Amino acid sequence: MAFLEIEGLSAYYGKARALHNVDITVEKGEIVAIIGANGAGKSTLLDSIIGLTSIRGDVRLDGDSLTGLASSAIVERGVGYAPERFNLFPYMSVLDNLMVGAYTARHDTERNLELVFDLFPRLAERRNQETYTQSGGERQMVSLGRALMTNPSLILVDEPTIGLAPKVCLDIAAALNRLNQENGLTILITEQNANFAMSLASHLHILETGEVRMSGSAEELGANPELKKAYFGNTHGP
Amino acid sequence: MGIRWQHLAAWAVFIIFMLALPEFVSKGTLRTIIFANFLAIFAISWDVLSGRTGYISFGHPFLIGIGAYTSAILSYRFGFPIALSIPLAVVAAMIGGTLFFLPALRIRGSYFALVTLAFMELMYQLVQVIRPDITGGTRGISGVETITRGAVNNFYLSFCLMALVAFSMWLLMKSRLGTALSAIGMNEESVRGSGLDTTKLKLAAFMIAAFVAGLGGAFYVHYLGSIAPRALFDINFLFTIIVAALIGGASTIIGPMIGAFFLTFLLEYLRPVLPGAERYFIYGGIALILYMYQPKGIYEVAKQGWGRIQAARAGAGS
Repeated sequence: MAFLEIEGLSAYYGKARALHNVDITVEKGEIVAIIGANGAGKSTLLDSIIGLTSIRGDVRLDGDSLTGLASSAIVERGVGYAPERFNLFPYMSVLDNLMVGAYTARHDTERNLELVFDLFPRLAERRNQETYTQSGGERQMVSLGRALMTNPSLILVDEPTIGLAPKVCLDIAAALNRLNQENGLTILITEQNANFAMSLASHLHILETGEVRMSGSAEELGANPELKKAYFGNTHGP
Repeated sequence: MGIRWQHLAAWAVFIIFMLALPEFVSKGTLRTIIFANFLAIFAISWDVLSGRTGYISFGHPFLIGIGAYTSAILSYRFGFPIALSIPLAVVAAMIGGTLFFLPALRIRGSYFALVTLAFMELMYQLVQVIRPDITGGTRGISGVETITRGAVNNFYLSFCLMALVAFSMWLLMKSRLGTALSAIGMNEESVRGSGLDTTKLKLAAFMIAAFVAGLGGAFYVHYLGSIAPRALFDINFLFTIIVAALIGGASTIIGPMIGAFFLTFLLEYLRPVLPGAERYFIYGGIALILYMYQPKGIYEVAKQGWGRIQAARAGAGS
């Protein structure tokens, strides 16, 4: 039994179907990436796991079904959500942003805050700064930090590198790797940047117009010439 | 966030200053301040709901009206003591707040605002049509028992009520609840994604706002001694509340207080010059200019001004 099992998942916005029959599994302690273009359904997939959309199919965490649960209950079971960094609370300080994440795990607030500030010392320095004044990279850190405040065993990270400088992407990758290796977090990440995703994830899924087109390890997908052309932007290889 | 001793000191200075005020100003000014106190209560109530969560209420007079009418009817028609009619009025307003809340589960933005406006209009009509023998119909009720007499006593009463409301709301909004409500106003989905039950939080906000509005409305009717639907369920009254909250600085407690005093005195001092409703144009204009210059309101302007003075001093000192 995998840690996260997504089975026959379809998601709808009103009558429009955004995901169709998606099957994805994530093992405990693994980093899995979903790659896809704009509109492929990446964010919808994460929204569906956390209970923000109406879905058909089943999502199970450690064997327990999450389907139909309220978002608050899903977060309490250990799923943290770091949405795209545009989804912060812009006119609140870094600390207040993090504190909103601390509701479900309020007894561990101190410990989690320490973890976040240890991971991103820059946030500790700027804890009283309002997030709309921050750089993209800092905001991405706040988004990740807010998810970590919920005491997760699995975090969903939505397009962490979108629009960020390469150097900052490396920082984010380092942080995610550290969370995975030192803190044992299972991570499901969505990306348009396939190279970034491959450097991180042990397993990847390609999502196109709401369906999983292809799945495999980084090596397997990297070797596929068609995919290389479509997603990796470099058909000649290094 | 966090409460610092400077904050508490500022509260103490403000309260002492206000309590000493009757020694220095005329009875007429006190009467103006009484109205400002009540307007501040209403504006704080509006701000807790709309300034924080972004659910813009156009129906606040509905909540205030339930409080005022319930207490007036209970005490005037049925002989309830005020000590009982006011708490009951607050409960009634909170029930009204729950009604308010139902559309908020499904709709947001301008639609929510319009629905709440409909609540106010509905109440205006109902009060006149249904059982006018109880509500007093179009003419309302006069001769409602007052709690105390005289400008000075009423000043103390209204100020204590306002200070109590403001201080307790300030404490409440400094808590996790306040942070969460503001977060809802900025991005409700994200609040849900962080594991918070936004339905419960919004219900709490509606209840708190209704509690304060009902309390203010009930005390207000026992200050005025009369109530009439035209004065209460009125678009000018509604906008005075909203503009007070916004002009002072939404999402703060001091903002609506500043706004209420500013507006009340502005309207009062314009009275000899512009006796009619033209006065409302003036404050509309002031509100417009202020929003264009600083959407966060007078409080922010003052804060930045103070910051500049400090910076200039520091510059001169070095």
